[in-house]
Formats: sequence, structure tokens, C-alpha cells
Amino acid sequence: MKRRDFLSNTTALFGATMFSGAAPMIASAQTTPVTGGTLIWGHSETTQNLDMHQTGTASTGRVLQNVHNSIVTVDKDFNVIPMLAESFDTSDDGLVYTFKLRAGVKFHNGAEMTSEDVKYSFERCANPDTGAVNFEVFNAVESIETPDPLTVVVTLNAVNAPFLSRLAENGAGVIMPKGSGDVQGETPIGAGPFKFVRREFGNEVELERFDDYWDGPAYLDKVIAREIPEPTVRLTGLRTGELHMINDIPADRMAEIEDAGEMQVVKWFPLNWDFVNLNHTFEPFQDARVRKAFDLIIDKEVLLDGALWGQGATTASPSYPTSESYNSDLSQRAQDIDAARALLDEAGYPAGSLDIVFKATTNYPYHIESAQILVEWFRMAGVNLSIEQLTWADWLSQCWVDKDYQMTMMNFFTLWEPDFLYYSLFNSTGAFNYRGINDPEIDKLTEEARITVDPAARADVYKAVQQRVFDETHDIFLWFRNGSIGAQPDVGGLDSIVHPNGSNLNFHKVWLNA
Amino acid sequence: MAYILNRLLSVLLTLFLISVITFAVTNILPGDVAMMIMGTQSNPEALAGLRETLGLNDPLVVQYGRWIGGLLTGDWGQSLVFKEAIGPLIAQKVVASSLIVVMSMAVALIAAIPLGVWAAVHRDRWQDSTSSTAALVGVSLPDFFWGIMLILLFARALGWLPSSGFVHPGDDFLGAIRHAFLPSLALGLGLMAHLTRMTRATMIGIMGQEFIRVARAKGLSEREVVWSYGLRNAVGPVLTVAGLQIGYLFGSIIVIESLFNFTGMGWLTYQALLNRDIPLIQSTVFVIAAVVMLTNFLVDLLYVVIDPRIRLS
Repeated sequence: MKRRDFLSNTTALFGATMFSGAAPMIASAQTTPVTGGTLIWGHSETTQNLDMHQTGTASTGRVLQNVHNSIVTVDKDFNVIPMLAESFDTSDDGLVYTFKLRAGVKFHNGAEMTSEDVKYSFERCANPDTGAVNFEVFNAVESIETPDPLTVVVTLNAVNAPFLSRLAENGAGVIMPKGSGDVQGETPIGAGPFKFVRREFGNEVELERFDDYWDGPAYLDKVIAREIPEPTVRLTGLRTGELHMINDIPADRMAEIEDAGEMQVVKWFPLNWDFVNLNHTFEPFQDARVRKAFDLIIDKEVLLDGALWGQGATTASPSYPTSESYNSDLSQRAQDIDAARALLDEAGYPAGSLDIVFKATTNYPYHIESAQILVEWFRMAGVNLSIEQLTWADWLSQCWVDKDYQMTMMNFFTLWEPDFLYYSLFNSTGAFNYRGINDPEIDKLTEEARITVDPAARADVYKAVQQRVFDETHDIFLWFRNGSIGAQPDVGGLDSIVHPNGSNLNFHKVWLNA
Repeated sequence: MAYILNRLLSVLLTLFLISVITFAVTNILPGDVAMMIMGTQSNPEALAGLRETLGLNDPLVVQYGRWIGGLLTGDWGQSLVFKEAIGPLIAQKVVASSLIVVMSMAVALIAAIPLGVWAAVHRDRWQDSTSSTAALVGVSLPDFFWGIMLILLFARALGWLPSSGFVHPGDDFLGAIRHAFLPSLALGLGLMAHLTRMTRATMIGIMGQEFIRVARAKGLSEREVVWSYGLRNAVGPVLTVAGLQIGYLFGSIIVIESLFNFTGMGWLTYQALLNRDIPLIQSTVFVIAAVVMLTNFLVDLLYVVIDPRIRLS
């Protein structure tokens, strides 16, 4: 599918708000905003450590999006735009970043934000003792200076093209009041539109409107995020009216909800993407012909229908679909069992000679379902595939850390920052290269991208990386998965709720019609 | 008194052994908490740093000592994954679990004892087979089946009761009962079936004994014979079973807790295990073990009240 079709299809299908400001397909009339009310949200996951620096989980980031603001942010096209900094400037050599802070920004504790808070937040994230998940963002930082209360100058010792866009995410770019680090884990304090009130662990998180929010107060008095991981329980709560909205409508129930027509359904794309991994240190997979044969065995469209009930769209590239680096010239290989058999024969693995263990984690039930569908296709191609189901902890330790697997499957957020995506996943020294990929061509390209400051030239380098990954079948890309929200008819402003990263939800402009 | 002291000592020793075994077993499990915190964002460098910060590199004896020392001084520490103080966290989940366990046990006993007695008295007649069939159905169908049916009926169709969630009785007592009602009923139905069978069997045994014949010969009414002489003797074994069940339910009703999103000790223990959060695993297992032993101890004491022939020695 060409990128243009792909985009127009998805926009037509989902009517999501993330593309070119298209109006969302929401049944009820979105009237004028009303102030007041408590919105009860059935959240699909349990929040963990509430310290924005220390937490690596999407669930916690989703809630904290409302509590925190970052120094810069991105618009829907992933251009970096001002947030707590009202302007920013990069020196010509790409080494010095100067941020001019917005005046009069208040934190929830009443303090006014100054450059000292920015310095504190960045240094806290960079400090290895903090245990910050994104500490490496600051690896190239040489100094952070605060010439006046509203100016911050960050100097790098080497060009790091992705630096600014990494600061557009709360994980690294969040600004916390100076000295608040010790309490962030239990009672986060930020400069976002909602104040954290309390969490009853495993039950609910309560947020309250912050009237002094610099971008104008939110409409809702409160947001209560009930943590309901069981999809059917969440859906029941929505249907009985106990919840105003839920995120992540179970894929197999989507048709039922849409047909009933009583609820607003917002779908967007993409929430995350999935790929099948082949361990490059496992002998058969060192041969590119075997990897390509495995790709040819999989019918991605059928797999998407079978495992995800069609709630997504297939892709040959993991780049964010609307980003500049998305290589739209690539298309997935169609299923061709005969060709796969021929390739396997050629590589010295005739039918019946390959026994492969597919390790799938029960943390993502649709991975197990995918694996079950794959077994039959592989049998047709003369490969004996057996499934081993692993808990999340076991998957992380066996596949991610010990690289002890032959074949597996994983999903990632649609990381819109291409360096984070391509360097960490495909560079031979990348932190997330758990497949043991060692391709000098890719190493060269991903290094080159880091020092290519011109965005268009940089995007071209990443397109070349995608081409190379595809040609060599380093991984088998499957699809982008949809995100979804179901809400009662009286919830307004849902077109603004999804953050460009596709995972976070922002209640600043959401309201309840009385 | 000596008996009670003895029992208490053995309880403490058992708890200590349980904590050592739990600690050893969780350390053998693959994967660790640092990895769970970082998930697919983890890389060797960051993991090493986090392990150091969390104190996972300390010798196991030191880690265990830290936990038990904290336990004894009242500072239960912090959950590594969730960054919540463990003491208050467990206190909250204990309230949730107790509410549901006590309510389901009440539902079960209130129905099971009369039903069991009724079946025993009308042994091998239609009353007995009706009660036995009902009990068989109750025992055979899993509690989550009842849960789903109850949600469909009371929350979806009738809209009388909430389908999920926990409300603290300290905040809103009636709300707490309303939220706990459906999960308690779902659990109680299975329990009731079990206890009905138990009551029936014990009653049948008792009603065939000499002293019942004597009571009848003395001219007491059948009602008095059954309820005062029969049941009083039958209730002991039933309570023992109920007591064991309380301990069991307290930490293992994760299915019902998930179905009603009524997170209690079972759920918390599961989360702790899933995340390899060792201090939290230690503390939850410890509390559950303590509750199991405490209920057994109380049931033993209750025996004396019910049956004066038993003397603790």
C-alpha cells in the first residue's frame, strides 16, 4: 500500500483526530464546553512508580501526562513546538541549546517555575543515582547554565540531532519543582493542568483541576482514573454507566459497541506496532534466505484479522506513519509458501529439517493468538513451529536480556523519534538490539543520522535504514495497532484527548455535558 | 494458658520459616524487579544502575535482614515497583479482602446450615435430593461463572448494584457493602454449596447417635432434638471447614477480585509476584500466612465455647 492510500484509508476508517485536523467521527454533537464535574475513566492498566523520571511504563505516563508538562512538546506532525519554554534556539554547530522560559508558570505547590527548576530536572534525569529510564538523553550534555531566571543554556560536547525531540516527551523533558525528587514517586508535583490528589494503589488515581495552569484551567473539576485491566470488566462498567469513558476497547468487542451506537467511539492510529523477531545468533537465521523465507510464510493481513480482529493496519516500516522518515516505497512481502520452501531448500533446510520454538508472552494475549495462527502456515512450508508461552518477567529475562530464543514477537510504541527507534533497535551496539543484528551497513547509516542535522537529509538516511532492514529481513514487520476510546454521549472534547504519541491521554480540554 | 502460648510460639516459628522459604524461592525465579521496572526500555547500563539503587546487589542475607528488621520495627518499607509504602498498601487491601471474605462467609453460613440440616432431617427424600443437586451445581460451577451471571442480572439488566470497584467502608459504609455484595455473593454461592454438603453429612452422623435417641425418648420435640442437640454437635466440624476456607479465600480469590475489579490481597500478591517485587511478595505472603494461622487458632478457641467437653490442655 502506498503511503497516500494508507493515510487516506486510515483517516476515512478511523476519522481520528491525529491527521491534518480531520473532524473525528463522534456520534453526539460536541456542544460548547462546560466547566465542572468529575469524569470517571476506566483505565486499562495499573499505574506503577509515579516518578516521571523513573517510570518506564506506558500506563503511568498516560496518567501523568495530565500532571506534568515538558519543556517543549510536539504538534501532530511531530514538529517540536514550545511548551514550558516559550522559545528555543539551537546554535549553528548544533551544540548549544538556549531555552527562553514562559514567565509566570506555576507548579502545583504554588512555586513559580524558574531556570533553576529546569536545571534541577535535567540534572536529576541525567544522574545515574536517580534510576531514570531516559537518562541517556543527557549523555552528551556538557553543561547546563542559568544566566537568568528565565533562560537555560544547555551545551553538548557532541552533536546529538535527536536531543530536542527527546525533550518533547515527559520521560526526559519533564520540569519538576526544584527539590521535589523525593516525593515524586508517591505524590507527583508538576506544572500540568491537573494536580495529583491521591492514589489508592490498584484501585484508582484521583486528579483535580489546577486553577493556576499557565495555559488556562481545565474544564473538569476532577478526573478519577479507575484501574481496570480486565477488558470485559471495563466494558461492562461503561455499559452500566458506572464509567464515563474507557480506553482500549477490546478488539473482539469493537464491532458490537459500534453497532449498538449508544457510545462514542474514538479510534486512532497507531497505538503501537508489532514485529516478529528472528534471533540472528541462531544458526539458521544467520542466513538471510532463511529469514526471507520466514517472512514469505506469513500472511500479514490474515494474521491481523485473526489475532487483532482487523483493529490495525499492516506496515513494512516501523516509522511513525505520518513522520517524514516513513519509507512509503516499501511494501510487505505477500505470502508465498512455494517460494519460501524453495528458499529454505536452497539454504540447506529442506522440508521437515527445521524445528523452531516460538516464544510468545502472555502479557499480550494477541501474541499468543498470532503464534497459534503461524503454526499452520509454517507446517505448510515444512517448518515445525512450536509455541512456548512466557509470563512478562520470563519473556524479559529470556528474550530481552539473555537473548535466549529462536523466534519471538514484540510490540513497541510508535516511537516518533527515529533515532530512538532505529539506533537502539538495529545498531549492533543499540540498547534494544535483542536480536543480535550485526549489519555494518546499518551501523554506518544510524551513526550518520545522529550527526545529520538537516531534517530532510536525516529522514532520507532513516529511509535507507528501513530499506536495508527490509532487504535483509532483519525483522518481520507486521502492523500498527489501533488505539481506542469508548465514552458516554455526554463526554465532550474527545477530539483533543489523544496525545500525538498515541498512548498518552490529556484531559485538559475534555468536559462533561451536564 | 500454656496451650495458647505453645500455639503462639509455633505460629511465630512457622511464619519465620515461611518468610525464609518465600525469600529463597522468589530469588530463584528468573527475572528481577529492575527488569520489570524498565521493561522494554531496559539496557544493561541502566539495569545495572537501577539494581544498585534498589539494593539488589547486596548479599541475600543482608536483603532478608533489611526486610525482617523493618517488619519488626513497624517499617515495612516501600514496594520497589510501585513506590508505595507497603504498610498502608497492605492495610488497604486487607480491608478489601476482609470485607469480601466475611460477607461471603456470612452469606454461605446463613444459607448452608439450615439447608444442610433440612437435607439431613429429610434424608433420602425429595428435600435431600433437591438440596444435594443444588449443592452439586454450586460446587461444580466456578465462582467466576456466578460472578458473570450476577453482573449480567444485577448490574446490567436490573441496574441495582455496581458491577465493579471497591469503596472503603470508612469512607462510605453503605457504598462499601453495595460494592462488595456481588463479589461476596458469587463467592458465597460456591462456599454455601460446600458447607451445605458438610452440614448434611455431619448432621446425618450425629442424628444416628445414642444421645439423640435418648433425647427423643425423653419426649423432647423433634425441633428441639434437631436444633439444640443435633446441630450444636454438628456445628464444630462445619466451623473448622469454614475457618480453613476463610484463610484460603483471603489470599486466593484473584479471579473474583479481577472480575469485579475489587483488588484485595490476592490481587496484590499476584502483582507482587508478577513484578518480582521481593519486599512486597514477602510482606503479602507473610500477612496471608498470619491470617490463615490466626483464623485456625481462633476456630480452635471457638471450639471450647461451642463444645464444653473439649478442654485445652
